[in-house]
Amino acid sequence: MSGPVNDPPPGDPAVRQLLGAAIVPCGADVDLLFEQVADGCGADRSAHQQQCVHCQAALSELMTLWDPVAELAAALVSPPPGLAAAVMSQVRALVRDIWYTLEITESGAIRIAARIVATLARDCARMVPGVRVALGRSTQGRIAALAEKATFGHRHPHAAAGVLGRTAVVDLAVAVSCNAPVHGVARDIQRQVTATLRDQVGLRSVTVNVAVDDIVDDDEG
Amino acid sequence: MAWPGRGTQGRPGHASQGKGVRTLTAAARAAEPLVDDAYLVARAQEGYLDAYELLVQRHSAMAYRVALRLTGNHHDAQDVAQEALISAWENLVRFRAGSSFSTWLYQIVTRRALNKVSRDRAASSLDLLPEVADPAGEPAAQTERNLAVGAVTDALLALPFPQRAVIVLHHFEGLSYAETASVTRSTEPAVRSHLFRARRALGKKLEEWR
Repeated sequence: MSGPVNDPPPGDPAVRQLLGAAIVPCGADVDLLFEQVADGCGADRSAHQQQCVHCQAALSELMTLWDPVAELAAALVSPPPGLAAAVMSQVRALVRDIWYTLEITESGAIRIAARIVATLARDCARMVPGVRVALGRSTQGRIAALAEKATFGHRHPHAAAGVLGRTAVVDLAVAVSCNAPVHGVARDIQRQVTATLRDQVGLRSVTVNVAVDDIVDDDEG
Repeated sequence: MAWPGRGTQGRPGHASQGKGVRTLTAAARAAEPLVDDAYLVARAQEGYLDAYELLVQRHSAMAYRVALRLTGNHHDAQDVAQEALISAWENLVRFRAGSSFSTWLYQIVTRRALNKVSRDRAASSLDLLPEVADPAGEPAAQTERNLAVGAVTDALLALPFPQRAVIVLHHFEGLSYAETASVTRSTEPAVRSHLFRARRALGKKLEEWR
């Protein structure tokens, strides 16, 4: 919009001509040369390109032109700290929370979210020798509905406190080392998770369902 | 501004640094990369929230990076990445076993970014730079590089969205033509055609800048 009409456009006329052409004088396709450069193969020249001054000149120009693009593509972009946590916070809000009623004291009720129980169980399972990966789930299906029904009274102080108030049902999906005794590891998980939930959370009855659904080679990772 | 090389961090198939899992032990962290996305998706579909958390940790960097390149500013990128990852959770039940979770997530991020830029076309390239460098305080070569990167950013944002998307997915994210076509619900010839036009358009902008 500014400057004398007759001013030449800025930039390199040779490059401008190259980008405005379909082919270089030897007949090579400019788009294919550009593709070669942009895919990082500008230096991998064919037999023809090793002999052809037109292709060599074009490839050199295009490589220089594309350098800043490659630099931007290689730049590290760090996500905002807390992005994953923010996502999971919203995801958890979408998941219906089921409460374990633990105790009604003179001062009020103590409730611990099922997902906390699941997290403790998962972390405990991960510490069992032979376990490589463990994922925790608090309850599912019918059991979840039963637990919720039993603890529903807690939202209504005059109703009976949940019979299942100190009961937890935890599902664990684990991957174990290929050399580990699978059944023994599963039993260890049940024992240790049960003990942990009793000691740390105060649960009275703990059911730990263990699904060993993957074997991991010890050399991996 | 200093942008070190990205390496493989946050790329498909590579676990990210695992920030944000406060309760995980070191041993658990070391175990995370051992299971692939397909395993985690299957468990997440069964209700294991842990599994989805690991997927989020693995792929949130990618979601944000692509969103940033496509929208042109950090705020929109954060919104797009967040919305995409939540949308993926909400629609996980529809995810087909055997598909690639990362390709599916690329699709969601790209679609959300398109919606975002369609609503607000005022993207500013300045916001792509993490910090404003003081030209007087850095070597001339560094300043030159920053200007070049800024010019590329401007040129990228000036491209029509379909061209910008294929450049970002193929040249920035390293997706193949087939993967790019899958993400953009297009065909490989169409992707290559968009790339031909996009590279020429970018080249002309950069040639003017030089």
